[in-house]
Amino acid sequence: MQENLFSYVNASPSSAAAGLLAGKSFLLQPNLSVGGWPCEAGSTALEKYVALEDATIVEKIKNAGATLAGSARMAELGLGLSGDSSARIFSEGKCNVALISDTMGEARVTASLARAFGFKPSWGIISRFGLIGLAPSMECSGIMARTIGDLSATLQVLVGSDRRDPSMLQERLPDGAKVDEPDRVATLGVIRECIDTLPAAESSALRSVFPAMEKSGTAICEVSLPDFKQFRTVHNIVGSVEASSSAGKYDGVRYGHRAENAENWNEMYLRSRAESFGLIMKSYLFQGAYFQFRDYTAFEDACRIRRRLVDTTKAFYKDVDFLLFPTRSAAQNQRSPASIDEMYDAFALTLPANVTGQPSLTVPGLLQCDGVDLGLQLVGAYLDDARLLAFAGRLVDTISDLHQ
Amino acid sequence: MNFQKRSPCGRLGISDVGQEVQVVGWVDALRDHGVVLFVHVRDRSGIVQVVFSPEIAPETCEQASSLKTEYCIAVIGRVIEREKGTENPGLDTGQIEIMASDLTILSSSKPLPFPISEKAMVTGTGAAGTGAVAEDIRLQYRYLDLRRPSLQDNFMKRHRIAKSVRDFLDERGFLEVETPVLTKSTPEGARDYLVPSRVHPGEFYALPQSPQLFKQLLMISGFERYFQIVKCYRDEDLRPNRQPEFTQIDIEASFIDEEFIYELIEELVVRMFRIGGSELPRPFPRMTYQEAMDTTGSDRPDLRFGLRFIEATDIFKNTQYTIFKQILKRNGHIKGINVKGSSDTLSKNVLQNEYAKQIVPGFGAKGMTWMRVIDGKLESNIVQFFSEEEQQAILQRFAAENGDVLLMIADPSYQVVTSALGMLRLHIANRLDLIPNTYYPVWVTDFPLFDPSEEGVTSCHHPFTSPDRTDFDPTNVEELLSLRSRAYDIVVNGEELGGGSIRIHDTNLQHKIFKALGLTQSEIEEKFGFFLTALEYGAPPHGGIALGMDRVVSMILGTASIRDVIAFPKNRSAFCPLTKAPSPVARAQLAELGLLNLGGEQVLPGAEQEGDLLEHLSWVSRIGISENERSTINAALQRAAHLAEVANDYARDEEPLYSVIEVSHIVRDGNEARNSRFAANGELLKNAPAQKGDYFKTANILE
Repeated sequence: MQENLFSYVNASPSSAAAGLLAGKSFLLQPNLSVGGWPCEAGSTALEKYVALEDATIVEKIKNAGATLAGSARMAELGLGLSGDSSARIFSEGKCNVALISDTMGEARVTASLARAFGFKPSWGIISRFGLIGLAPSMECSGIMARTIGDLSATLQVLVGSDRRDPSMLQERLPDGAKVDEPDRVATLGVIRECIDTLPAAESSALRSVFPAMEKSGTAICEVSLPDFKQFRTVHNIVGSVEASSSAGKYDGVRYGHRAENAENWNEMYLRSRAESFGLIMKSYLFQGAYFQFRDYTAFEDACRIRRRLVDTTKAFYKDVDFLLFPTRSAAQNQRSPASIDEMYDAFALTLPANVTGQPSLTVPGLLQCDGVDLGLQLVGAYLDDARLLAFAGRLVDTISDLHQ
Repeated sequence: MNFQKRSPCGRLGISDVGQEVQVVGWVDALRDHGVVLFVHVRDRSGIVQVVFSPEIAPETCEQASSLKTEYCIAVIGRVIEREKGTENPGLDTGQIEIMASDLTILSSSKPLPFPISEKAMVTGTGAAGTGAVAEDIRLQYRYLDLRRPSLQDNFMKRHRIAKSVRDFLDERGFLEVETPVLTKSTPEGARDYLVPSRVHPGEFYALPQSPQLFKQLLMISGFERYFQIVKCYRDEDLRPNRQPEFTQIDIEASFIDEEFIYELIEELVVRMFRIGGSELPRPFPRMTYQEAMDTTGSDRPDLRFGLRFIEATDIFKNTQYTIFKQILKRNGHIKGINVKGSSDTLSKNVLQNEYAKQIVPGFGAKGMTWMRVIDGKLESNIVQFFSEEEQQAILQRFAAENGDVLLMIADPSYQVVTSALGMLRLHIANRLDLIPNTYYPVWVTDFPLFDPSEEGVTSCHHPFTSPDRTDFDPTNVEELLSLRSRAYDIVVNGEELGGGSIRIHDTNLQHKIFKALGLTQSEIEEKFGFFLTALEYGAPPHGGIALGMDRVVSMILGTASIRDVIAFPKNRSAFCPLTKAPSPVARAQLAELGLLNLGGEQVLPGAEQEGDLLEHLSWVSRIGISENERSTINAALQRAAHLAEVANDYARDEEPLYSVIEVSHIVRDGNEARNSRFAANGELLKNAPAQKGDYFKTANILE
């Protein structure tokens, strides 16, 4: 049973190093390279692939004293959560912290399912070297933990530029999670057009949280973003194009799956890749190919809308400290979508932060609807990661004080 | 700026010391010595070192500090002799340098996509080469690639070779006459490049695969001796060292025979090779097609080394060795080669496990028989099956001596025996380094006129080639296959440099050939009508030849690829990374050419919006799909089309945002080439689905 939840169990999970993460047990996913571990990233495309060296962030947590428990099972190349076992392993208490790649909200939705904290940092402050990615401009490693303390400590260890990841932010990286901010009234914004998309029960559940928050010294205000639905359009177009490009390297030549007995190169590519990808991934790659080869203008248009969404969202932060969303809707199927569309329905509330690269945290226990914890999602301004975590810590403390 | 007094960089020398000179050119390399700046200035003639010193001209020196590689500059200065010990023997001008007094930056250059400089500034240090630069990048910036002196030198030589061809043929009374590029499809066997006609909608010109019919028409016109250095076009499948357009030296003459062509071409080829510094001995040896096939297994034999085939079929006519016995029962053949004195290098293990089991089956033969000669006797895994008589006959026939290795291939098909043994011959020669670095030209003659085909026969060469006799019955296939043609190929080192033939000038004979080929009267009329008509007006006896210019030049200069002797070549996929040709065209352009709905029922790809979108995307992204996946993927594609519409509706004129971080240039530390340690220790291959030695193994390259 245990073996079925894990794709790889570390037989010798020891760590000699003392450090910020000493004694913490980490769960990884098989799309994060650990030298000598199988890293198939949930895809036949990487059949039997064994990583040659550690990802930068794996090296970092090892050096900070973490022990590695093993890798969970995961959805193909980290798109969605089909077949992902991180939430289950985490709920069973087999580890303290999990690193989960977040392409459209996977880390945060997993955390909300496991009733834990889930955090996607600002894009570009954590190295992606050694992460087997799919949508490079939107994905990054997310962190799931039981306490804000573990989350902050992990973030502090992970943040930092890496010469081997030239896509990272080159200047002024935020200094991990050290923030001592004097208490002051924070303002949270909710996007009207987002609330409008929720089932009635869930939107009233969200509104019912406001009084307790206001009592704890937080102001709530409503903002309007008429383009809210376009986050999803942009993510789908950009994500599928980037996926089609990224997956281009899985040709069965240097590693991964190769179809048997092909007569020539083209046949080898066609058949190997036919056998390499599952139907959801294939649909996504074909959508990407459609934009790349049939309608490239659509990709450029999506990137134009992306700029507008980034700019509009940024402007909100003149008046609010953080934006507030549910992490997921119970009406949607996050675990086994049957189509790309269903998957986008399921992650519609988390993917905006992937489009804009902003830090986003799901907080457990604060937003319930009919006994289901939907996860309260806070989205901070770009690079405001530390303040976001500090605020969430205070919010959890004061609200639980109020309840007592 | 006045350039009239400029001195070519590469021609300056000791005799110019003390002179004030102007040089212009590109900054090949720079070396900053703190105070003093050294610059290599390069023009077509070569490189000279210029020194900028604050003691000589402080302002100029200040100005020079902004120089970067490949800036185009003009410098005025005085030539001085270099100090003892600072000479650069790697440069023709290494004895001197120019103390700059004046600098003009004619134009600046963006940072280069790859290094261009080939000359080190300090003796003993390496200059950057382009060895590791991907060829497509070189072709994309071909104008920069061509700045490299080694490449420029290829084109200077190519020019000299072309000029020697023109001079020589002019001496011999040949006229260069141009033939059309927009013409009618000609019968050369390869696919034509078609050019749609706007004036005649739905009709096409073809680009010539060779000016074959036109040069024959020029003979009928009475020009007697024609030549042309001409571009030809063939839409062939991808092969290494092929270009969709190529240059050929095209020659045709009247009232001549084969000997005229041999003498003319030998002298021509000798003169061409002389420009590359090689002297070819004349006359060139000749070999019939049959002899070439019998002794080397190839109609373009590489004769720089021995390993000629030895016939062994008769030795085994009564053999008890089952494999040979069965092959001979089916009228098979046995041939072999003697690899002299190689029993040390070709061990039992190599012969049995590498050659017999892997390499030779890859050449199409079922197996290979090997024997080593030790102490005057044959030794191998099967020698016990041969009678004493047979063993003696083998030793004698192969002139075998101690240390020799005999290799034989037996097969029911003569073609399999010769072709596999031919490839084995080349493989062994390469492996044992038996091929001397020299040129070995040979004429191959007496080709068969026809090849057998399913319906009868096809022309080996083209249907205008004269047969060796005219009294044949065009309906008797067996007799047709016994005919020889009056064709000849010139072959050097196993590569065909060119070929030609004496042509048919008699209409009746021409019709007889067409009849043999099974062409109907209307087919003949449609394909060659104009030419047959011309033959009826007193055509002179004539013949000619064509040489592949790119290939000859490449061979003379010893370049790795013919792309190194073509200024703007296509890459291996017949694509031009510089201009991005071929490229799609606007629907409007197709409409104007009447190509949107050609011939009513033949709909061109892309003419209908839907077309076979799924198939197309499956092909371009190289992802196969199965029947049961189609509906899901089609639904995803419909959704994608919808998303595209939405995006189009919502997008305004913002600049597209591709990354939430401002894109910036990042340069890694150092400028040494870096190799992955996993490449060095071989672990890089650890994850390969199949590998062989130090390489990734894949399917066949050729389709």
